[in-house]
Amino acid sequence: MAEMDPGTLITLVTIVTSGIAILLGTLTPAIVEGRAVLKALEGMTRQPEAANDLRTTLLISMALLESTAIYVLLICLVLIFANPLLDRFF
Amino acid sequence: MEGFFPQVVFTIFGIPIRDTVVSTWIMMVIIVGAAAMIGRRQPAALEMLVDFLIDTVSSVMGRPAEPYLSFLGALAIFIAVANVIGIVPLVVSPTRDINTPLALALVVFFSVYYFGIRAKGVIGFFKDMASPIFMLPMELISHISRTLSLTLRLFGNIISTELIVAVVFALVPLIAPLPLVAFSMLTGVLQAYIFTVLAAVYIVAGLEAGEPVSAQSSQGVSSQ
Repeated sequence: MAEMDPGTLITLVTIVTSGIAILLGTLTPAIVEGRAVLKALEGMTRQPEAANDLRTTLLISMALLESTAIYVLLICLVLIFANPLLDRFF
Repeated sequence: MEGFFPQVVFTIFGIPIRDTVVSTWIMMVIIVGAAAMIGRRQPAALEMLVDFLIDTVSSVMGRPAEPYLSFLGALAIFIAVANVIGIVPLVVSPTRDINTPLALALVVFFSVYYFGIRAKGVIGFFKDMASPIFMLPMELISHISRTLSLTLRLFGNIISTELIVAVVFALVPLIAPLPLVAFSMLTGVLQAYIFTVLAAVYIVAGLEAGEPVSAQSSQGVSSQ
């Protein structure tokens, strides 16, 4: 492998890391949200009179769960568009 | 990607004004004008909106919505219009800039203290919050962390959908971005709903801190 200057190396590592981070950071909340929806649907079919309460609670907890994916996305955006490490070399 | 992030348009007395601030001004004019016009011609449309807000807020808080409706309703309408107005050409969403969600989350942060102190008095509110006393630091940390999470949730959702639209527009400029624009509108309205419901949950958690858990309040999700 040819000799790389540090800026290129950091860019390469940043891109690969962002890809892996967004993969794991969206995979896990998606699985967990799917389970939450599944349980809420089971509850709604079992007790249709509680559907309104369940829907509100489901939406709130989905928002709280989804915020982890949003944090990962923001970290990836910072890494790609405003990488603090690159300023040391350029 | 140049021009995607907020830019300084002009400066007033040395204070830089970004394009998101200008579109906030446009939005304020639109909201006030629409409210005045619809209220005079067709009050039924406003009644539906207010009924929906009352239903949602009172079912989430488990108590009459009257004292909180003006605050939460204004929050919901502002965020919904702010998220959706990004589809108008030459106008950007104010929530694309992280300072707008931060300001809204700070308003929610202080409103928890305002409503709590108004209901219980200064001493009663802080005594309920610090019972037992070692819970006080955790309560304060959770107040700060949920302010931060409200900010990042709103900002991240809006910036992600707009980024997706921008990327697809760069690839296929013709018809392809339209479904994603519709999806971003849906996300924006949903985020306004979620922000408002979470603000109601936080306010009612501040009001009911220290009280024994009743059956009515047990449907609220614990604060993050």
